[in-house]
Amino acid sequence: MNIEHFLQHSTARWMEQHGDASDIVMTTRVRLARNLTGMRFPLSFSEEEANKIQEKLMNTLLAVQEQTNFSYFPMKDISLLERQVLVEKHLISPYLAKNEQTAAVFLSADESVSVMVNEEDHIRIQCLAPGLQIAETYNRACKIDDLLGGKLSYAYDELFGYLTSCPTNVGTGLRASIMMHLPALTMSKQMNVLIQMMTRLGMVVRGIYGEGSENLGNIYQISNQVTLGKSEREILDELQKVVEQIIEKERASRKKLLERAQVTLDDRVNRALGTLLYARILTSEEAATCLSNVRLGVDLGLINNISQNCLNECMVFIQPGFIQQYAGIPLDATERDIFRAKYLQEKLHNAGLTIREKGEKPYDV
Amino acid sequence: MICEHCKQRHASVTVTKVQNGQTIANHYCEVCASKYHPFQTDIQEEPVALHQLISNWFGVPMWKAAQTGEKKTTQSTCPTCGFTYRHFLKQGKFGCADCYNTFRDQLPPVLSRLQAGTTHKGKSAAVSTEQLQAQIETIRQQMQHVIAEERFEEAAKMRDDIKALQQKLNVGSVDV
Repeated sequence: MNIEHFLQHSTARWMEQHGDASDIVMTTRVRLARNLTGMRFPLSFSEEEANKIQEKLMNTLLAVQEQTNFSYFPMKDISLLERQVLVEKHLISPYLAKNEQTAAVFLSADESVSVMVNEEDHIRIQCLAPGLQIAETYNRACKIDDLLGGKLSYAYDELFGYLTSCPTNVGTGLRASIMMHLPALTMSKQMNVLIQMMTRLGMVVRGIYGEGSENLGNIYQISNQVTLGKSEREILDELQKVVEQIIEKERASRKKLLERAQVTLDDRVNRALGTLLYARILTSEEAATCLSNVRLGVDLGLINNISQNCLNECMVFIQPGFIQQYAGIPLDATERDIFRAKYLQEKLHNAGLTIREKGEKPYDV
Repeated sequence: MICEHCKQRHASVTVTKVQNGQTIANHYCEVCASKYHPFQTDIQEEPVALHQLISNWFGVPMWKAAQTGEKKTTQSTCPTCGFTYRHFLKQGKFGCADCYNTFRDQLPPVLSRLQAGTTHKGKSAAVSTEQLQAQIETIRQQMQHVIAEERFEEAAKMRDDIKALQQKLNVGSVDV
């Protein structure tokens, strides 16, 4: 499979199915950090060691091609823009994209699995799934881990578990991240308290569009902080419990908003839709905010005829790398904003969105 | 003014302490001040949020590193990647898997600040075919040695060990 396959669409095939609580949980991501024995970590290894690691993984993963169907891409073979698109799709990490000389990635055809080579650790196994599917996603990652661990020797210590470059990953090497859309909790200003609560419970809360983008588009990524001193099961169960509580709180919050301020809410989500449909210049911040409001409107039945899938696609698309890939030429910030508005209009019109007539009752609560 | 502690260097740092309502001012040089920073212990004692702990962990050791570093640099340099403990604190990362062995004694306090415990309770690593082969090879060499010394009982035990390992290897390879 060539690289174009992974760049074409802003959403992958795995996104098309719906997982649990897909009105609130967008994706579940599990990653396992592993290193091989006898070779230094990427922070201090030699080029020779880097090549040896790549070779070992190729031999192991491509040997069982029928089971896994991986495509292999060394970072130095793909362009900067292509790498950025992969980062925006969460298929590789920004850190991997930067390691041009030594890093590589194995991608499964449906894009649900990626094995990053020579990231901060030798091996990063990542599995993605739509909605809330913590245990299932972990099991899939675990299978690949078993496949690799059966053949290659991992750096492992009886006391410290799987050894990793950063002490925040040592032990299980497991980080599970749940991407959640929490507009009602954000609107009602409950997020700060919840983030503090989650932090105390050993969870990390982040925005999706990278560091510093805090809660752009009201999307939060919640993941476990602890990797040592607890078993995988305990870590995942705790995360599951926290996420379930947040889902419940968000649902209650949405209900309250609908009860107390239905007109305001209806106005807000439809204004957002109007902006997306008619604006000619859209920054990524504005686009993300509008998409979040439209999504809320769809979830609450205030807006019809737009699928979650279409919104998912738009969410990924509004990022700078993707827009340029789609346009086929490099664009500066202003040009991107124009192109972004144009694409979103096409997308939403294609989705068969009908604009309501005056006085028509569009919803039934 | 001359440093109150070393009484040699020029005092450039004034530390004002309020203790039981009394104000005490001490004058130190930069070198001594960094060693006897009065806030060092305060920060550790305060209950802090996790994210702060991490940033403190990268911040605090800059004083501590100077202390422990001086004492320990000589004995704890990782033989595989050349990292020192100070290097690790500065980067927040290890250079290789052997670092965990080199700094084993210093790690529990660091890990307990970041993690829920200092020992692994999760999945254990499977023995890989690579490792089994290596193990068999080592025992074989030891067996040669033992036979040469005519310690046959031990040699027989080793032979059985090799057999058991080989069996594992065969089962494993069929499985995968």
